[in-house]
Amino acid sequence: MFKKFLATVLSASLIMGLCACSGASSETAAGSAPAADGSAVEAAGDTAGEEKVTETAAAETEKEEESAESAEPVTLRMAWWGSQTRHDITVAAIELYEQEHPNVTIEYEFFDFDNYFTKLKTLVASDQVWDIFQLGGNFPEYIDKICYMNEFIDSGLIDVSDIPETYLKITQDTAGNQIGLSNGLNTYGIAYDVDMFNEAGVPLPAENWTWDDYKDAALKISEATGHFGSSGLASSEFIAGCSTYIGQQGSVGQYGFFNLDLTGMGFEDAQMLTPYIQMRADLIKAGASPDAGAEMEITNIENDFLVTGEAGMTWVAVNQFPTIYDICKEEGRTLALATIPRVKPDGPAGAVIQSSQMLCVSKDSQYKEEAAKFIAWFQTSVECNKILNGERGIPVADSVRAALEENLTEGQQIMYDYVSLVGTFETPEKVNVLSPDGQDQVVDNYRNYIQQVVSGEITAEEAADKTYADAKAIFQ
Amino acid sequence: MKIKKGIVKTLYHIFVIAFGLAMVYPVLWMISGSFKDNSEILRGSLALIPRAVKTSNYATGWKGFSKITFATFFKNSFLITAVATFGTVISSSLVAYSLSRIRFRGRGLWFTCMLATMMLPGQVIMIPSFLIWYRLGLANSYVPLILPYFCGQAFFIYQMMQFMAGIPRELDEAATIDGCSKYGIYSHIILPLLKPSIVTTVIIQFYWKWDDYMGPLLYLSKPASYTVSLAIKMFADAASKTDYGAMFAMSTLSLVPVFLIFLFFNRYLVEGIGTSGLKG
Amino acid sequence: MITEKRRSGLKNFMNRNETVGYVFAFPFIFGFICFSLIPILTSFYYAFTDFSMGSKTVEFVGGRNFGQLFTDEIFTKSLGITLKYVFISVPMKLTFALLVAFLLTRKTRLQVLYRSLYYVPSLVGGSIAVALVWKQLFARKGLINSILTQAGLSSINWFGDRKLALYPLILMSVWQFGSSMIIFAAGLKEIPSTYYEAARIDGANGMQSFFRITLPCLSPIILYNLVMQTIQAFMAFTQAFVITAGGPDNGTMMYALYVYNQAFKYNNMGYACAMSWFMLAVMSVITVVIFRTSKFWVFSEAGD
Repeated sequence: MFKKFLATVLSASLIMGLCACSGASSETAAGSAPAADGSAVEAAGDTAGEEKVTETAAAETEKEEESAESAEPVTLRMAWWGSQTRHDITVAAIELYEQEHPNVTIEYEFFDFDNYFTKLKTLVASDQVWDIFQLGGNFPEYIDKICYMNEFIDSGLIDVSDIPETYLKITQDTAGNQIGLSNGLNTYGIAYDVDMFNEAGVPLPAENWTWDDYKDAALKISEATGHFGSSGLASSEFIAGCSTYIGQQGSVGQYGFFNLDLTGMGFEDAQMLTPYIQMRADLIKAGASPDAGAEMEITNIENDFLVTGEAGMTWVAVNQFPTIYDICKEEGRTLALATIPRVKPDGPAGAVIQSSQMLCVSKDSQYKEEAAKFIAWFQTSVECNKILNGERGIPVADSVRAALEENLTEGQQIMYDYVSLVGTFETPEKVNVLSPDGQDQVVDNYRNYIQQVVSGEITAEEAADKTYADAKAIFQ
Repeated sequence: MKIKKGIVKTLYHIFVIAFGLAMVYPVLWMISGSFKDNSEILRGSLALIPRAVKTSNYATGWKGFSKITFATFFKNSFLITAVATFGTVISSSLVAYSLSRIRFRGRGLWFTCMLATMMLPGQVIMIPSFLIWYRLGLANSYVPLILPYFCGQAFFIYQMMQFMAGIPRELDEAATIDGCSKYGIYSHIILPLLKPSIVTTVIIQFYWKWDDYMGPLLYLSKPASYTVSLAIKMFADAASKTDYGAMFAMSTLSLVPVFLIFLFFNRYLVEGIGTSGLKG
Repeated sequence: MITEKRRSGLKNFMNRNETVGYVFAFPFIFGFICFSLIPILTSFYYAFTDFSMGSKTVEFVGGRNFGQLFTDEIFTKSLGITLKYVFISVPMKLTFALLVAFLLTRKTRLQVLYRSLYYVPSLVGGSIAVALVWKQLFARKGLINSILTQAGLSSINWFGDRKLALYPLILMSVWQFGSSMIIFAAGLKEIPSTYYEAARIDGANGMQSFFRITLPCLSPIILYNLVMQTIQAFMAFTQAFVITAGGPDNGTMMYALYVYNQAFKYNNMGYACAMSWFMLAVMSVITVVIFRTSKFWVFSEAGD
């Protein structure tokens, strides 16, 4: 079934912050299995680490050997961002790898999203970037530090034949350089509480529902239940809502927030943003969406108001869905996934399937080949992915996906079906989902402008103009 | 008359205690929160006594994250804090002695420099400092978090100078007549008399360093080398289903060392602040 | 004879004021050059470049970063907010600290206990742990709002309103009055009791002796606390960083936090350095103003 949208995903790439917080349901599987011999592996790792200190950079010519005993000890540094669930399963996967490759020790570090990039920037400045590191759609900022993986694939050092060409492409740049290997497929959607919709007498979202339907549903739910109609992590809203809203106007592929090669804006009339900004402000003013104070209390998807039972809908990157589905199910509530609303029922959907994040090899690495081998294993090993269990998105390797599809949880099944559905939507030939350097500041300002519209300081038109001007200023 | 005095006295005590309790209420609330159920905390209950005492928060919190327990974080914090505090006391007292007692050329300049560093926003030097430590090959170690404390801390140098101004110079003169060198005056006269000020330094530097967040964030990368404050922030950020009970439990524990140091030394706190030098 | 002379020469050298001074001051001089001066100069250089952590090439941009300060709305806003924070929190904190210190001068056996009690907020206030608690206290359904609703008032969305969000942070700063209190207490202890006795004989009441004796005697210490607390308030960072992250609508975007954001979040290192330098200038001006005006209200004891 996934073949269906192979054709539709073209040169899409990653999106930043997509998976800042999420989790999978496989905590027990991940936590218990490798833990028993974890200590032994760690002990072996420590000595290897100490030896490494006195080592010179002679390792680059080293031929890799499968007979691990004779291989030279190698210490790789790796880092990622995410939630506790992700940290635990990733550590378990690393321990499995170390078990299979006794000569390799992996020193890992993990952070939440913001701290990860703070740390990364200091390492870039000092040429010390981790051997293996995770990046999203903001990779252009770090392109100087990324070692392309083409040579490892071409030389046969790593075998990625299990990953369909289309999925290799989602982490390539336009010149065909393999930036990294994708951690999984992902897209945005709206998770909603079925019972709240029924209680408020609102029809459940159709596949091609519109922003008007969405606003109407949010207002009615808030009126009927006294809760928020639609909640949401602020970081998802700009990309899933505002930026998608532009792509939905005109014909398919006519507009985008930024242009395809990330050198300027993808639309000219700032006022195209106005109706969306007005709607956001109206919902907040009516108490149907969280205001700044309430929004601050959402620190990650797992304490979103939808999950705590205080909202009818929220934005999600769909890899987050299985986790919150399970949490709500425990409390007797049923969640479902709806598409991102459209401007017109028969207009473009604006949604794209993209890579969640990827793992990259660092140019600063002494052991680039070893790093590449680990990354290939991480994305293609069935054993490894049984531990990871699709927490970073739907795996890209065919055999891994097939193995995981055999026993999906209910929430995962909904996610898989949803991604297939989005795959059937008409998408433009080329899509750009990258974030230019400087987008953070634009998004922060944009959120403040909405608050100013709510408080009546400026009009939605002015907010649209200001947001447009800020975004345009990135490229000057 | 006597009765009236008694009433005033009692009222005074009641007022001071009640007001003081109001001041520490947030801290007490945090401590009681560490024994509460997650849902009870989120409802914002006023009560200090939990409906059901839940000690398991401590066990849950202590586990830390990814197989690193809080024992490791506490050990790291103790190491950094103790060494840095020791360094501050030694170096600051040396520098304070030179600036307040020795008339040497350049003293005015260095005194001005010292005052200037007190006013310098930390953000100004954060990045360049990091780059320097990197070039020395010492980023990602405890050295950047400790070594600067062996170079005197302006705030404490200044405090100690104020205190030294209150130590009569006649003592120095008498010692000089007895054949004591300037080095001897420092170790035999000034240092022993400086004790209250040293204790104040220990208390304040200890909790400043213990609470430090930016430093460890910049310089420590391996989770196994994290300090308590960094670990608590990570714990709060990353925990899948933010567990307030466990967070409050670890927060409470993190304040225990600070309290102990304070309780142990607090009688010296006021004595250690010198104000003589402040008088025009 | 000769060796003795030489030995005493060395001894003389070692005991010269210059030598002793530099030997003892060495740790500071070393630290000052390595950990302050060099980084400061580097940062000054960066303020005139487009330096960012990600890129390797550094371009000289002249005064552009400083020019940008005047067109940056958020910069102006954050400067205003920081000044508001300083001008409200510092006087309140010092008044409070002085009153409590005065209240606790009364000799009782419990004095040490009381002083400890009032010092607790300062002891713990800088920690991440307490910042997280503070955030919880002022949350929509937090403790403060449940007190308000129980008192029959309507609850306040502290962190949802730009005009209100700064006050919980100001309150947190005032709450940590302990270190100023301790310094005041030390000062109060040194006021000779004979002054008060003399005043009593002259028929002065408590109020009068507070304003006529206590305040003037304490004025040098008030000056010291004022300067220290003002500097500290200008640099306030952690609380805003942990509790509000600068929101809502930049209502708590403290200057230091904005510098941090420009440096680490938006990756404009050069601009951030320029902002730091501007901050340094503002702080210096205010400090100088405080010292200049101090001669009108700080009493120095004659002959010292």
